[in-house]
Amino acid sequence: MTVAPPTPARGALAGLRVVECGDGVAAAYATKLLADLGAAVVKVEPPGGDSTRRRGPFPGGEPHRERSGLFLYLNANKRGVVLDLERDPDRAALTRVLDDCDVLLSDLPAARLEACGLAWPQLHTSHPALVMTAIAPFGLSGPHAAYHATDLTLWAAGGIAYLNGGGPGTDDMPPLKAFGQQAGFQGGVHAAVATMGALFGRARLGGNGQLVEVSIQECLASILELTYAYWPYMGLVASRLGQKPIQPLDFFECRDGWIYLCCIEEHQWQQFVDLMESPDWAGIDLFRDRLSRGANWDALKIFLQEWVREQSVRELYETAQARRVPFAPVSTMGDLLRSEHLGARGFFAELAHPAAGRLRYPGAPYQLGRTPWVLRSPAPLLGEHTAGVLGALGLDARAVAPPAPATESR
Amino acid sequence: MGPLSGIRVADFTWVWAGPHATLQLAHLGAEVIRIETLQRPCVTRLLPPWPDGVPGPNRSGYFNQFNQGKRSIVVDLKTPEGLDVARRLVACSDVAAENFAAGVMDRLGLGWDVLRALNPRLVMIALSGYGAYGPEHEFVSYGPAQVPLSGMSSLTGYRGWPPMHVGISYGDPNGGIHGAFAVLAALWHRERSGEGQYIDLSQWETTMAVLPEGIMDAVMNGVAPERNGNRDPLMAPHGIFRAAGDDRWIALAIRNDDEWRRFVNAMGAPELADDSRFATLAARKANEDALEELVTAWTASRSPEDTTALLQRAGIAAFPAMSNRDIFEDPHLRARGFFVELEHPEIGVRRHLGIPWRMSGTPCAVERPAPCIGEATDYVLGEILGLDTATRDDLRARGVVA
Repeated sequence: MTVAPPTPARGALAGLRVVECGDGVAAAYATKLLADLGAAVVKVEPPGGDSTRRRGPFPGGEPHRERSGLFLYLNANKRGVVLDLERDPDRAALTRVLDDCDVLLSDLPAARLEACGLAWPQLHTSHPALVMTAIAPFGLSGPHAAYHATDLTLWAAGGIAYLNGGGPGTDDMPPLKAFGQQAGFQGGVHAAVATMGALFGRARLGGNGQLVEVSIQECLASILELTYAYWPYMGLVASRLGQKPIQPLDFFECRDGWIYLCCIEEHQWQQFVDLMESPDWAGIDLFRDRLSRGANWDALKIFLQEWVREQSVRELYETAQARRVPFAPVSTMGDLLRSEHLGARGFFAELAHPAAGRLRYPGAPYQLGRTPWVLRSPAPLLGEHTAGVLGALGLDARAVAPPAPATESR
Repeated sequence: MGPLSGIRVADFTWVWAGPHATLQLAHLGAEVIRIETLQRPCVTRLLPPWPDGVPGPNRSGYFNQFNQGKRSIVVDLKTPEGLDVARRLVACSDVAAENFAAGVMDRLGLGWDVLRALNPRLVMIALSGYGAYGPEHEFVSYGPAQVPLSGMSSLTGYRGWPPMHVGISYGDPNGGIHGAFAVLAALWHRERSGEGQYIDLSQWETTMAVLPEGIMDAVMNGVAPERNGNRDPLMAPHGIFRAAGDDRWIALAIRNDDEWRRFVNAMGAPELADDSRFATLAARKANEDALEELVTAWTASRSPEDTTALLQRAGIAAFPAMSNRDIFEDPHLRARGFFVELEHPEIGVRRHLGIPWRMSGTPCAVERPAPCIGEATDYVLGEILGLDTATRDDLRARGVVA
């Protein structure tokens, strides 16, 4: 468990004031990264609440807008206000909130930003020191700027989906997305990086802010590993259907779960063969080096599966690692929650929430020695801080729209 | 000029995760200096793709993509003078970055305790698979094995299939980009406090940071979501469907019943709007196999570009599943100026992927192609460390630098 440090250290970003105006994962994750290091984040939600409140996972599978695991995770450490940006008084209130603020982070579509009174030129005039980071599926300009997108279509647009599938002989299976909303998370973390850059840029701009534009398609294209360059360098299309040049790099079923066998260097394979007590088949010429093992993978895979099936994941993992062979367990969620290693590092953080109760959350993604990552407060109830945030500015919360009544079945 | 101009990074990283972190800092305008050796060059310098299939340490598209804008010096860190060069460079840098196996920097004489004594304002980041402590911290970690280790593979895959990969060594860039953010936050703190600090980043943990939907389900309900291909609990159809052409596909997602009606109109099958098997999300989820067959029957004979244009006009999220060639040729990315086409001394102009953000006030640009190995040795020794020509020649003659 992450516990508060003995002397309550200030986060690295303490003093930074951020407003998040968005929906879904991208902007919320960017501001989560800022909030978890100490920034004061105000999350603006529409009266019906953020869409992640409806996504779950929920305890018992029962939808409840205060109990969505995704929402609770993304929005801890933030204060939440409800504003209906269709209404003038609410837009005026938002403008006042921004007066006190360093960063506005948004993933709303460009047209919606404008309709909400958040167009950059006007905002820059009224709030010259403000950094505005606008995350958009395809960026704010270019022929596809107004294209509709979801996490799935972006994963395809960025080129990563095309690389993943069942390998040789699975031509009928579609490109496969990764679990979760990874386009949103990548948009978010890239936006957090660029936002920090823009904050440093204020020193160079006489204290002025600037507009930062983040294209999620570009974020994803920029992490295509070595595959993208195959076209400009060799005129080759990278495909998920081809045989991998090097093997073993594959999933195998043990008697108690799945393991990933990974032998990239020759000495790793030799160690693995030794660990298996050098079965006869391992010595045949078809498997003599990593390239021949790649070329003859269909055959080798059968031998390996037979051997691996009798093993236990944990034992094989630890025995291989003791020989510097980089196998990994195919961790289940339960494995993660029970991991001794993660436990010793205090990865999971525990926090109580008035509607969702006491839960463990994924914790620090990095450990900063002097200014720790800390989970301070649970995600806001819908509109929980509207009166407090507006009141501190001398505004009357009764002038703005109230949260919509909850609709889910209880 | 990028907003981090004036910030210097002593970059000891290799392979992908570390170089990806320092690439972001270079994108923001920092001066990133790779410290390299000839004995063990960066793994990616030795990997394809190479123009004309001809290998060479300066020819790899993999290296050249993730090291744009950086400089390179060659130093033999196993010699006392070489170690001294590295330490002096760190002493006048703002950031040091490394992603070696546990203990390597300490054995080289470049551990955090040594470096912070040289430079109290230093921000140092170590990116590793498992983190700098914990019972498994000395385990070997390779990019492809990080995806299963993190839990991502157990959640990813076609329905009823084994756990699967995600197509790239996701833990590497995800760890790298999170690492860049952590460094920027630590620099922000340093600007206010004067103090540097050490950052311990575990790629395993940064990957779990982007898997909350799986982890929270296990926390709340003791179960994990089943592998379910490209499907989504709240949208249907939601998939990547066969299109006309050789291995062409289109991704599309219908977010609500109104979009469904617009979709069937765009398909030219408005009668489907009244088909009770598909009229509501619940009905479409209940009949999803039939639904996907019906969608495929339409998409399979059309180009993914035509279908995308048609559906986008109807306000529906759709896009072709892009190959590396499609990305290279994408008119939208070109119109946005995303690509970087700089003259590289050995391989000429190659179209590289550029910076995924734009700044209105302090524009970011890739200033130079990825460095040939050792291209900046003289610059660093002379202009940054202030060594005179005779000293530089001597170090070179004795193989300390190259």
